[in-house]
Amino acid sequence: MKRWWIRPLVRIGAAVSLPVIVPAVITVFIWSLPGDPASLICPPNVCGGTEALAERWNLDGGPVQFFLGWLSDAARLEFGNSWRLHQGFPVLELLETAIPTTLTLIALATAIVSLGGLGATMGWLPRRIDPILRVVGLVPALVLALAGAAIIELTFGFGSFSDSGRLARLAIGAAVLGLSDGAFTGAVLGTRTTFETESKQRYVGIAILRGEREMTNTWPNVAPALIGQLRARILHLLSGAVVVEVVLRIDGLGDLLWGGTLRQDFGVVLAAATLFAVVSAVLLLIQATAETLVALHVRKAPQGVRLEEGP
Amino acid sequence: MSHPDRGLAGRIRPISVAALSFSALMVAAALAPEYLGNIEPDQALKGPLEVFPFGTDTRGRALVDYATQGARVVALPALAAGILVGLFGIVGGILRCVGSERVNAILQAFSEIVGALPRMVVILVVALLVPRDHRSLLPLALTWAVLAAPGAMDEAAAVAERLGGSRFVEALRAHGYSAGRIFLVHVVGYNLRPVIVRQGAETMMQVVFLEIALSYLALAENQPSFTHGDALMSWADLLKLGYPSLIPSLGYDSGHALVLALGLLGVVAAMAIAIGRAARAR
Amino acid sequence: MSLKHAIRAATGLALAFVGTGATLAYFEESIPMSLNPLYAKTMADHRAQELVFDRLWFNDAITNELRSRVVQKYQVAEAGRAVEITVKSGIRWHNGQALSAKDVCFTVDAMLDPGTPSTVAAHYREFITGCEEKGPQVALVRFNRVLPKPRERLGFPILPASEFNSTAISPDLQFSARPIGTGPFNGKRGLRMVTFDAFANTHHMPKIVQMQLQEGGDPLVQTKTLINNNVQGIVVVPPPQRPDLSASDDVSMKAYDLRSWWYVSVNSNKGALSDKRVRQALNLVLNRNELRQYSIGVKPGDKNSPCEFISGPFIPASPYYNVEVPVQPNANLSRAEGLLKQAGLEKLGGRWHKDGQAITLRVGMLANLNHEAPDLLSQVANQLGAAGFDRLTSKISADEWDDSVMAGQSDFDLVIGKWSFGLVEEVNELFHSKGRQNMFRFASSEVDQLLAEYEDAVTDTEQRDAYHKLHKVLNDQLPYLFLWKLDTKSAWRTEVRGNIVAPYYYFTEIDAWSVEG
Repeated sequence: MKRWWIRPLVRIGAAVSLPVIVPAVITVFIWSLPGDPASLICPPNVCGGTEALAERWNLDGGPVQFFLGWLSDAARLEFGNSWRLHQGFPVLELLETAIPTTLTLIALATAIVSLGGLGATMGWLPRRIDPILRVVGLVPALVLALAGAAIIELTFGFGSFSDSGRLARLAIGAAVLGLSDGAFTGAVLGTRTTFETESKQRYVGIAILRGEREMTNTWPNVAPALIGQLRARILHLLSGAVVVEVVLRIDGLGDLLWGGTLRQDFGVVLAAATLFAVVSAVLLLIQATAETLVALHVRKAPQGVRLEEGP
Repeated sequence: MSHPDRGLAGRIRPISVAALSFSALMVAAALAPEYLGNIEPDQALKGPLEVFPFGTDTRGRALVDYATQGARVVALPALAAGILVGLFGIVGGILRCVGSERVNAILQAFSEIVGALPRMVVILVVALLVPRDHRSLLPLALTWAVLAAPGAMDEAAAVAERLGGSRFVEALRAHGYSAGRIFLVHVVGYNLRPVIVRQGAETMMQVVFLEIALSYLALAENQPSFTHGDALMSWADLLKLGYPSLIPSLGYDSGHALVLALGLLGVVAAMAIAIGRAARAR
Repeated sequence: MSLKHAIRAATGLALAFVGTGATLAYFEESIPMSLNPLYAKTMADHRAQELVFDRLWFNDAITNELRSRVVQKYQVAEAGRAVEITVKSGIRWHNGQALSAKDVCFTVDAMLDPGTPSTVAAHYREFITGCEEKGPQVALVRFNRVLPKPRERLGFPILPASEFNSTAISPDLQFSARPIGTGPFNGKRGLRMVTFDAFANTHHMPKIVQMQLQEGGDPLVQTKTLINNNVQGIVVVPPPQRPDLSASDDVSMKAYDLRSWWYVSVNSNKGALSDKRVRQALNLVLNRNELRQYSIGVKPGDKNSPCEFISGPFIPASPYYNVEVPVQPNANLSRAEGLLKQAGLEKLGGRWHKDGQAITLRVGMLANLNHEAPDLLSQVANQLGAAGFDRLTSKISADEWDDSVMAGQSDFDLVIGKWSFGLVEEVNELFHSKGRQNMFRFASSEVDQLLAEYEDAVTDTEQRDAYHKLHKVLNDQLPYLFLWKLDTKSAWRTEVRGNIVAPYYYFTEIDAWSVEG
């Protein structure tokens, strides 16, 4: 492709704008929900003060006013207090707990998934176990998460929210995310298929005849695809994290998003959604950087090649 | 000599599996009763051997009703979502063949933004917006398809690019083929078909899994169902009934419900895999 | 905090520690949404707030007598339109400040402030007009009319004036998670747990050092956790789990009187239901024995049943319950059919029609009631279906319940719910044509007149007579199909001693609780 830099540039542009566009889109969505948070506290025909509350929460001027007000406060890291989900808690405090929790959960799950990809690349996972992997991948995250939650509660009892209990929940959550819904299976089969397809290309055969290694030739070409796959898997894990966090009662971003949306706690939802967008943006930047480096590497003139002059 | 597996003969098994499982799903959906049977406490948690074919729940009601009602909840919406994703994939592939860098860039930007949206929030909002009397999985399935579209479009575009993109089209034009034939037959029919059908089938499976997750979350949060009328049961109810059997210390004899639920999901997964295999490239 | 108070508190805590040194952990129905008493929405909120705050007056759990831990003396003033309250000296807030009349008046002002969007406050606004500080410990609370039993109406928790900048109290203040009260425990809400630390005071000497509340998950798992001694109690045990817990020697079941009764509310302003005969027919269609057997698990003739049928809006043990009005335990389909025909309905193809249109009944039920009465919604719907009505069933979320159903804006025909009395056993808000909780705007001049008779009554007997007549009239007009009163049960390990469970508020007598072993 002549203008190879367009794709990475678009990714960088998207990454920069996501932290603003995503909360704006989410504002439009949650604004359309029936009822409004102030009247959920107390319907106007039952008690007074609802208008004053709507004004306090900046709900009285429409979604644009609300969003712009939220955005300017968010720029100063002022997210206010939770309205309904964890009433009275500063949203920033909620995020300070949720961010490392979700990052740890996703990192552990990604490690499991990446191990699968590595295993496939290095040939540690033979083809004959593919049917077993497919069966394991069929189990929905929900079943494993429910069983995991019950085991934790029975094992730790009331201490299931102590430090060790929380660690256990995270570990089980990561295992559930990494193994179920085809995450591990997809990593193994997807990585293997990508390498196999690339290995069948003619240039690989020629490189092998030249005495070069297959991996050194295929790796730069499959890297963008693999990074793209990894990014897609991480986003898929983030999506699945919502269910796992709610069922396993892990205090992460997914749990905040779910509970906040259900209870129309706009401040919590927007803050958590923005963080999701930031994670996506970071992944996009990593992907764009990798694409750029690979493209530069591929286009670099080879060293130490002597061109034969014609007769 | 063509490889036997790549011709029609080699596809008979996956086609059969796909057709069988799809028919089973549709027939089950068609046979679903409108309401569950009467409560019979004496028949609580009976196994399939005692109450054919699938046993009973804690209230003595037959699990076959859960299975058929659950199929009714997911069958058509999953199919619709699969078709929608396939259509998006076709659009993505064709646009890459058109060869406009501007269009590609716009599509890519759109894909990145849609891909960054927290899916469950969007799905939940759509679920809460659907009027109570029209609650069904269909709007959520279509929303999921739209959110999954960027991935499908990307993959189809990558396949189109490997073909040669606009140069492939030019070459076929030089042979005298019409634009319609080029795009519909050569691009979509011969080359994009495997990817699009596989993406569609995977989306169908994802929608079923999504329905289970949403139904369970509604139960857990004391909410009305997000995906179906409250008179119906879904496969999530089977899972909720059955999962305690995984923990021996609970002493709960509901393993037959769990096996049934996993079996039903297995049928859906087998259908998705078989459809993908049946449509694979020669 | 003064040195004297610090010594007193430390001594009290030390005594408590010597007494038991124990932590009491228990499962609740849900984690409280707010620890601010103005924003109590669920019973879990009320129960948690009972540990943190003192109500001006409360009912003794055993004698039902009205008592107060914070009021030294009171007298009715201004010809019955005010009460002068003297609060006790020496009582400390959890922040160390002293309780005074300023706090009582602050609480009243906050409830009256139009900037406080509280349903709890809305109830008090109906009859309280203001509060005046007559001295450091003396407050005069004024009403808009003569109240024969004013103490019964003043059961609100007192809030600390020192913790707020204004009387307009918003629900999202940090006070909702970190409240300050004068109660026996200082509460802190976490994300998954609420911790209550004992706070010794002149009027409270809790024997338990710390209490911890968590939301219970799967009832099966909760039951097992209790039996395995990984938790000490479950506040609300769903009926399906009761047999297992009753069978355990280490667990004792406690009755928890929520003073609640179950009903099917009828939209008497909609279509065929506006005809009293149709409502009476629906009442005859319901087979309450069957409903009770299959959802609660109580068979006809079971002794010591936790679930008794009712024929009106009171529990049978209430002095307001009119025992002369009989209950309807079984269906009477032939009589129901007769009434429907009299009302002009036709049965065509097995379905009831009015003016040529098939009648479809939209039936809803508050979603979280399904834990206590599993499948009640589908059973009611099945019985209506068997009687010839098409139906659409729906569970109702808590938000829709508050925002739409209780606000009188829902389109349901029938709604299954549970009503719990608070301190005062009053039903005016439910049945008066202008009642704030009259969910389908039922209007009857006869009922309004009887409710006014109750309001104007000066003696207990007059009130009782008014409500007896109301019971009879409501059983005839049937804005509600009355189902039953259902006892709630708690389960506590036998190591927990002296655990008197107060009606409604639960932890009123927490000072007597202790944990041994």
